[in-house]
Amino acid sequence: MSLMLICDDLMNVNWIQILLNSAVTGSLYLIGAVGLTVTYGLSGFPNFAHAEFLTLGAFIGFWIAEDIGAPLPVAFIVAFLITGIISVLCYRFIFQPLAKKGASTIHLMVASIALGFIIRYSIGAVWSWTPMYFSIKWPSYIVGSVRIAGQWSLLIVVALVLAFSMHLILIKTRIGKAIRASSSNPDLALASGINVGRIILITWFAGAGLAAVAGIFRAVNTQIWPLTGWDIILPIFAVVVLGGIGNYYGAIAAAFIIGLAENVGVVFLTSIGLSTEYRMAIAFIIIVITLIVKPQGLAMLFRRG
Amino acid sequence: MAGILSTQNVKAGYNDVIIIHDVSLEVACGEIVAILGPNGSGKSTFIKCILGFAKLFDGNVLYDGNIITGITSDKAVSMGISYVPQINNVFPNLTISENLDIGAYHRSNKSEIKNSISEIFDMFPELAVKKKNLAGNLSGGERQMLAIARAIMAQPKVLLLDEPFASLSPKPIAVILSKLTSIKQNGIAIMMVEQNVREALSISDRGYVLVNGSCVMSGNSDSLFAEEFSRQKFLGLEEKKFDRNKFRVHNDS
Repeated sequence: MSLMLICDDLMNVNWIQILLNSAVTGSLYLIGAVGLTVTYGLSGFPNFAHAEFLTLGAFIGFWIAEDIGAPLPVAFIVAFLITGIISVLCYRFIFQPLAKKGASTIHLMVASIALGFIIRYSIGAVWSWTPMYFSIKWPSYIVGSVRIAGQWSLLIVVALVLAFSMHLILIKTRIGKAIRASSSNPDLALASGINVGRIILITWFAGAGLAAVAGIFRAVNTQIWPLTGWDIILPIFAVVVLGGIGNYYGAIAAAFIIGLAENVGVVFLTSIGLSTEYRMAIAFIIIVITLIVKPQGLAMLFRRG
Repeated sequence: MAGILSTQNVKAGYNDVIIIHDVSLEVACGEIVAILGPNGSGKSTFIKCILGFAKLFDGNVLYDGNIITGITSDKAVSMGISYVPQINNVFPNLTISENLDIGAYHRSNKSEIKNSISEIFDMFPELAVKKKNLAGNLSGGERQMLAIARAIMAQPKVLLLDEPFASLSPKPIAVILSKLTSIKQNGIAIMMVEQNVREALSISDRGYVLVNGSCVMSGNSDSLFAEEFSRQKFLGLEEKKFDRNKFRVHNDS
């Protein structure tokens, strides 16, 4: 394919639509990644079972909304609470005892991968591996040359509300300052009278609850099956790494950068005749480049994170 | 003076290695006690074992007459024991004001906390002018002041300091010496681990000398200076003639 044809293709792309799609993708990754980055920063290991918290939330939401027939907001709340509680139990009875016995980051990471397998295959056994779909019909709007689906606008609004309220919590409240302090220096936080163990449990609860919300959005947008969370764990980890581990503000910027990179990347992949299946490689490439060039990610730009 | 904080025959260390052997010492209200000794003598390990940051194998820690052996540091703070580590002693991603808020974490009365912050800023005007700055942007001396201020925000009865003068130039050391004297005058007991013997003994009332994890000498600070053997053998002061009064901190307030 000649360079001229590629340029022609790129000129004909609806870039405003691409920007909107990037905001949608970024919003999903933000909601999914916030919990992972905060728990990674506080607990000191990457919890790969976070993917299954997305999946679990999606299935709980599906069960509430589709099987029981409750309204979607109820599904979001119940999924948030149940997934949060399960996450706390996982930390309290698996990861905390391991850490107390001196488990290293690698041990804890492997344990989280094992936990992820257990949750994933348990979900498959309970609900089946056949993809399912939410039956809710969302309205679509055409604004100029841009199509906006109802669930997209809800997703973006939720992400913006989350970003702003998390900012207020972290900066203005006692618990928020304690989270930032514990993430920065757990021993000093302890020596300042903060019950760091309790702070960690709170972040595991809220982080997994938000993962559940992201899981429902992912399922509403695509399909629901036991790999719903695992399918997007790579870009979620890319957000955590690019944003700087444990850095909330870095995660916000990184989520939208990766959302944009993926959507623009898909346009380029299509224009050079490659499959859009390669979009996942974009997140992987961002992780590798970040780790080589700037392992601390965007954290230096957002030092209050 | 009765000791507010004391240890009895403490053995402590890390993992299975015992570094501190049968150390008993005490600090009273309004007193500054210096724990001195050469590198690797176990001074920092001793102070850490009081708060559970090092393993306590045997012996007891008493606070206000009660045994608190094995207490965790978050509980120790609410009882009245504050600790300032040697390094990483501020939260670099928090502003000066936020660091002080964290120091008052276990306190609930907002107006009292506000008053305490005003008092801290009166005592440390250097911090007041930079209260919105991130602690990570402060100089070494300012960080040390903030670390001490953060610890005082907890309203302690005892302040444990791990090498407060380490890596500081003479000017910030002089400032911190005067701040510590003010803190002492407020009735707070200070137990200070320090390698800068001259500075530590210039403001302390008493001192203990640790060598290889054991207490080899103790006494009031003047006598530790006067004792030629301790000066040469343990304190490394044999090279210079030293006038202790030169380092006395005069606090007119």
